[in-house]
Amino acid sequence: MKRFYNKKYELLSAYIDNELSEEDVKKLEEELKFSKDLQKKLAELKKLKQITISSINPIQENPFFETRLAATLRIKNPWYLRLKKYSPVFGIIALSIIIMVVLKYNPSLIDKVVEQQKSNITAFYKQNLKPLLFAADLTNEDIFDFAFYHRLPLNYQKKQFLQLGSDKNGNQFFEIKSAGLANNSNHLANFIKGLNLNEKQQKQLDSILTSHVPELQSQVLVNDKNTVAINPNIWNYNKALTADLISFAANVNKNNFQKIIPPDFEKLYNAKAIAQILKDVKSTKSNKYIFFTPDSIFSDQYSFNQDEFNKEMQIWSKEMQKNMQEYSKQFSNFNFRFGEGFAKLKRDSSWDRNFEVFIDSNICRVHIPKVEIPQMNLPDMDGLNINLDSLTNYLRSFSFHFPPHNNGKNYKYFYSDSSKGFHFKAYGFDSTFTFGNPKTDSILKNRFKNFGFRMNPDSLASVFKIFLGDSTNFNHQQDMQKQMKEFERQMEMFQKEMEQMQKELKKNVPQKQTKKSVEI
Amino acid sequence: MKIKKKKEDLPLPQILNLDDDFSLIKRFIEGDESTFNILVQRHKEKVRNIIYLTLGNHDQVDDIAQEVFLTVYKNLNNFRFESQFTTWLYRITVNKCKDYLRKIKIRNIFTPIKDSESELGYNPHSEDSDIKEIVHNAISKLPDKLRIPLMLKDIEGLSYQEIAESIQCEIGTVKSRIFRAREGLRNLLKPYERELLL
Repeated sequence: MKRFYNKKYELLSAYIDNELSEEDVKKLEEELKFSKDLQKKLAELKKLKQITISSINPIQENPFFETRLAATLRIKNPWYLRLKKYSPVFGIIALSIIIMVVLKYNPSLIDKVVEQQKSNITAFYKQNLKPLLFAADLTNEDIFDFAFYHRLPLNYQKKQFLQLGSDKNGNQFFEIKSAGLANNSNHLANFIKGLNLNEKQQKQLDSILTSHVPELQSQVLVNDKNTVAINPNIWNYNKALTADLISFAANVNKNNFQKIIPPDFEKLYNAKAIAQILKDVKSTKSNKYIFFTPDSIFSDQYSFNQDEFNKEMQIWSKEMQKNMQEYSKQFSNFNFRFGEGFAKLKRDSSWDRNFEVFIDSNICRVHIPKVEIPQMNLPDMDGLNINLDSLTNYLRSFSFHFPPHNNGKNYKYFYSDSSKGFHFKAYGFDSTFTFGNPKTDSILKNRFKNFGFRMNPDSLASVFKIFLGDSTNFNHQQDMQKQMKEFERQMEMFQKEMEQMQKELKKNVPQKQTKKSVEI
Repeated sequence: MKIKKKKEDLPLPQILNLDDDFSLIKRFIEGDESTFNILVQRHKEKVRNIIYLTLGNHDQVDDIAQEVFLTVYKNLNNFRFESQFTTWLYRITVNKCKDYLRKIKIRNIFTPIKDSESELGYNPHSEDSDIKEIVHNAISKLPDKLRIPLMLKDIEGLSYQEIAESIQCEIGTVKSRIFRAREGLRNLLKPYERELLL
């Protein structure tokens, strides 16, 4: 009960302080009407509040309060402490002055710091560099492509290529691009066919290509940090390799060679000149490499130790035998990544102004206008690939398909040069051919006319007559002879089969009749 | 029961003009130290009164008020504009008073012979003591935690909300403490019921 009254009295206290809500005031006032005790308490509290207020005399003003406070502030907060808030500004000014003084007496300091940072980065990317030939497992075909098409695969799966080139102004560039953009035609095989090389000459060609491997090995280096290091001398090696192959071609088959090499390159035929070029290129050693990394492109000195690498190769070859899978994972899995770093690289190409970088989704081209390529008096052979292309245009592969048991007497002919496979049907061996499409006749005739063949559809035995007016087509003569022999063999077999079938048919007919008569 | 919030206690929309406390503080933070003098002039009497009411004597009022404004000066750059400047100022004032009272209590432990004027002068049966002095002495007998809210309410006229923020407690606690202070005062003044007409 007492607690209840205390609560009510507490409300009365708040009531006289005007701190109750309207709702509580209404309730309390209702209760006050009927409770004398509450009325008495309310009067008592009001009186207490009144005497409390009246008991306190207002404090006298102090006119010197501000003056005294100002004096205290001056003592406790002198001028030098008030300057404390400006300390960051003073700090920056002092630092600037120190930097200016230091730079005045040591102007190359910043350059040294930058060079130090650069050398740290370059040292990082120079670690564990290995020859591209080792990582990509280059074949003679790849080296041949490098000679005439300036292209080298970067990885074992040949998903990326390094392409060398020069722009209209004659400035060299290299680019890394995906395999989808590269032409994967069989150039070396066509070259061999075009020159009609025998087995011995092919071995000679292989040895020429292989002989360039040690020099090429040290020209393009790669590592596991997504770095490609290219020696600018690679452009000279490329020319030397091309000259060597041209020289070889001129020696083995001069007639055909003249078809593919323009007259401007006649001076290259000179064996002595070629030997001199090769000697010059091999004797010119350059330790300056262009490093192409995800963070930067820079040129720097790097000494590739061939002997050390050979020793490592020996160790690895032993390891390879033990664990081939591990080897392929570790050393043959180079794949240049076009990651986020490339956007940054494009923006920060000012890092080394010797390079101009052009980046597309799957191509990265680096122009190197200011990087010195070792100067040598080498002929310009950039136009050569065009002539080789024109040679390979003639080297079309085609084949005949003879179904072994073709009872419909249909023979198909495929000509792989066209996107559409032309075909015709032969009705009987001795009858004339009937072409499925009248246009095919003229197309085939024209095609073969270009190719040095003349088509005669009168009889199957003389379907193709070969005219060797053009000496570049001599390889097709052999091919055609082989195919014709195969064709004749197939026909003989078929004729025999047919004859056998006819004989069996003749034998079977009376037998069936006999059987029927027996049944009757 | 809900405690009513008076209309005048509700936070008013901030109209920034050159004279309000927030504008003065902002100018002070920006480097215009002259605004501090305006703040001192504006609030010094309230601060002095609170100190006087809290301590119960005049002696240390100015000293503690000086300390209060020195603290304000040092910390004004860190003012967060989350509450009224007066709330922050009163809280500093009350805390300074509490610190002072704590020091006095510790000092009294080592000086058991009490010779303070209020103690000596307080004699409920003295004939010449007038009503004001009796009440004043009775108030000074109240514990700090009851006397401070009572004084802030009855003399300074702060709302329960303001008192709660100044002494850093709940509004319900303020209400309870003020009631208990009045009950305590009534008990202390019981011998003078007739004189006081209680």
